[in-house]
Amino acid sequence: MTAVWKAAGLTYNRYLAIAARAARRSLKEDKRIIAERRGETDLKFSKWQNGKAGEAQNLEKANTAAMAESAS
Amino acid sequence: MLSRAARPALRAAVAAPARVAAAPSTAAGYATLREIEGRLKSIRNIEKITNTMKVVASTKLTRAQRAMDTSRNYGQTSNEVFEAAETKVPETEQKKSLVIVCSSDKGLCGGIHSGLSRRTRRLIAEEGDHDLVIVGEKAKAQLSRSNANNIQLSFAGIGKDVPTFADAQAIADQISLLPTEYTDVKILYNKFINATSYEATFIEAFSEEAILASPNFSAFEVEDEVIGNLREYSLANSLYWALAEGHACEQSARRNAMDNASKNAGEMIGKYQILYNRTRQAVITGELVEIITGATASADM
Repeated sequence: MTAVWKAAGLTYNRYLAIAARAARRSLKEDKRIIAERRGETDLKFSKWQNGKAGEAQNLEKANTAAMAESAS
Repeated sequence: MLSRAARPALRAAVAAPARVAAAPSTAAGYATLREIEGRLKSIRNIEKITNTMKVVASTKLTRAQRAMDTSRNYGQTSNEVFEAAETKVPETEQKKSLVIVCSSDKGLCGGIHSGLSRRTRRLIAEEGDHDLVIVGEKAKAQLSRSNANNIQLSFAGIGKDVPTFADAQAIADQISLLPTEYTDVKILYNKFINATSYEATFIEAFSEEAILASPNFSAFEVEDEVIGNLREYSLANSLYWALAEGHACEQSARRNAMDNASKNAGEMIGKYQILYNRTRQAVITGELVEIITGATASADM
């Protein structure tokens, strides 16, 4: 039997990230602010084809979109 | 006769109050005082900047080193499984290899980025084509000049702060979404040896087939389904390790580079200060000589 998150198209890393985010959010105010800084990403990426860089995209958004697509 | 002899003296007398501001043309061949002064000032400013960057880098270095130590535990613990299972890269005819180069966006830190690019180029020259995934603008700029066709993905925005595990996870996810199935994945990063030296090193990340084919893996008694998860998770772990260690290397390299730059600037300031003093002295002496000659010449009459 496959896990529910797998059926929803999430990768294991994504599943872990979401679980970690939930855990961080349930912390007390002072600890939560410090902990949430560990979960921030602000990366950009671009796909390359035949030696040319594609458009720069936000990594977080692209990951979410790709996983939503594979969910069906 | 008189008028000719008195002329330089007169001119010197007129020029005397404005002497410090503009050096007269007597010091032909030397840089004028004002030029030297301007250069001195700019070198002093550069020294200030490099010194500040050094201080910033040293404070960041302590944090980066702490992050590196903890991340090393992550990476090594997750690799322990593969060591116990004796996982090896499968020897197949159709090899499809991927190299993940972990550099960063910022320069001014000596040769750590070019060290990584050089190692990558050597690997491609020795072992044939590898696909590249590049983290960081610097290595991207260098490798896009020589190996643009090998690049599959490039990431930017790393290296502003200590890399987080969320960064590593997001990168690992995007890599696992690549259309090609790779037989082996290598992560290239700067290994931190001590504060002054580092070395471009590889971490192996294994494919599912490699994990399944490893001789002792059955001892762990896990279902085959979860191996994909293990692979993704261990890739993220190794990436986190590589990013954090690379970050620590970068900070320490920047500290050293800025230290050297400040030292060189200090040396240059010393040299120019001496040159400045000498030139000023020469100008004053030259003027004195002119005044005295003029005075004696007119006294004779």
